[in-house]
Amino acid sequence: MMRIVICAKEVLDSDAVNNYALAGRLTIGDDGRTITQTAIPRLMNAYDEQAIEAALRIRDTGVECTITVVSVGEDPSAILKHAAALGADEIAHIKLVDGETDCAGVAALLAAYIGTTGAADLILCGRQASDDDQGVVPALLGERLNTPVITIARDVALSGSAVRVTRVTPDGDAIVEADMPAVVTISSELGAPRYPTAARSMQARRMAPVVVTPTDLGLTTDDLTPRVMLEKLFVPAVQGNCEFINGASPAESARTLISRLREERLLA
Amino acid sequence: MPDVVAVTWGLGSTEEADELLTLARRCGDVTWLNLGQLPEGAVEAAARHGVTSIIQTNDPKLEQAGADATVEALAQYCRGASPRLVLFNQDFESRLIAPRLAGRLGTPVVMNALAVAIDRDETTVTASAFGGDTHAEYRLSGPTPHVVAVMPNAVSPEPAGSPTNPAIEQFAVDLSGVTERIRIVTPARTDGARLEDAQVIVAGGRGLGSSTNFRLIEELAEAVDGMPAASRPLVDDGWTEASRQVGLTGRITRPALYMALGISGASQHMAGCSAAKTIVAVNRDPDAAIFRYAKYGIVGDCLEIIPELIAAVREG
Repeated sequence: MMRIVICAKEVLDSDAVNNYALAGRLTIGDDGRTITQTAIPRLMNAYDEQAIEAALRIRDTGVECTITVVSVGEDPSAILKHAAALGADEIAHIKLVDGETDCAGVAALLAAYIGTTGAADLILCGRQASDDDQGVVPALLGERLNTPVITIARDVALSGSAVRVTRVTPDGDAIVEADMPAVVTISSELGAPRYPTAARSMQARRMAPVVVTPTDLGLTTDDLTPRVMLEKLFVPAVQGNCEFINGASPAESARTLISRLREERLLA
Repeated sequence: MPDVVAVTWGLGSTEEADELLTLARRCGDVTWLNLGQLPEGAVEAAARHGVTSIIQTNDPKLEQAGADATVEALAQYCRGASPRLVLFNQDFESRLIAPRLAGRLGTPVVMNALAVAIDRDETTVTASAFGGDTHAEYRLSGPTPHVVAVMPNAVSPEPAGSPTNPAIEQFAVDLSGVTERIRIVTPARTDGARLEDAQVIVAGGRGLGSSTNFRLIEELAEAVDGMPAASRPLVDDGWTEASRQVGLTGRITRPALYMALGISGASQHMAGCSAAKTIVAVNRDPDAAIFRYAKYGIVGDCLEIIPELIAAVREG
């Protein structure tokens, strides 16, 4: 039976972070890099949720597969429960304190996890995490596992021993194929993920994540030494200098704006 | 001076390397490594930007720009030349190539960079995070080259104080062991007009209210001889196609005129249009973030204003 592994990350709700940032009320702790607002919810990275959806759609086509969702972090049990409620057969937690490693370390942990738990045919990741927006873990994981990495997918299907992926490229959609095992990253164009059913949510409540430590995976502190350290988070100042056009009517405002743009030769 | 490699490929013109070469020069002694054909005027551009040497490599396997060949070629170059820093223009392809190169070399990588500075063995990179409203400063240490992908428009291009006389060297790669693992079944269809190349863009957002109103954006775009575009929620909800999406995870545009209609101006979106020479905005909320970026603004309902804009343009 085929095994699909999805890598999921718990993130601060980026919409909430942005709302605080735009309102000038985002608070950063004394370390200069931790957002301290406790009111900001922690969620599964939305792209990762769509990666789970991509796996479920493959299963819906009748492919016999197991779906494992794995997360690295201090306590991602809430998002793993959510993954189980969505339909994951297995949930796994690689236990690590925040700041103890970087993206390369996370990729090393995920690769070791996949390697020590019977490998995977297909590894699905969100295209990037909505907190740091880095999007490097899938590529680093592919390098670790020596597999192809196909990015920015809107559709993932199986075709024999290959995976066929529709990628959203700047020039439009492209369809590509690679032999499995492969890493594929999922983009928002895949569409909205499903909601958990009541029955699955009940079942999920009884599922506990498999917990492993870096040591279990054969990795030492040295292997995980962060080479990319977050030093500081800040909200950049944006200088506003907008000239508002206040016509007596929408028509007058519109005419003024268009003639202004014509004077500046921005419009013909 | 630290050795800095600016990596490019598939350039349409040398202008596309201006920002990268400007930033590279501020970090150290610049080698411009271009995979495939150099664009016309490359030597002059390199001289203007104070580049020390241009490295060219013309292996036919690189012409198809496959990720496996590209990563292998860059890894071979880095193992031989041991640079301190490798810089990429961040785009669709480098978003994969840069981290894979770092993964292969076992060196640190940061994407979405807005600023880069070298301090002895460490590299400090400021990058956008949370869609761009927040910036993150990272300190990179350990094995080199540190690999950094730079966001479009992060740097204003500027020629070097004193031009150089760059040497052109050929770099012979051995790609005999490389078979592309990704096969192209159906290539992307390029329908000619791309938002990235548009001079005038008319973009609609949530303020349009409903999907049927997107035709107002298309109509205004036609009237001003521009291209229609949209913010991400519209694409997510299927009001228009994905190729119209401007923003961090969509198109990065740089038109002369960007008309933002019913768009709040979340940084996620601004990442794709803040390089426009002139932004004009129509929004009901006078405090909308978009007005911080706009040169001209109208506070009002875009459903009332857009038809008037169309009429005003047609009046001539």
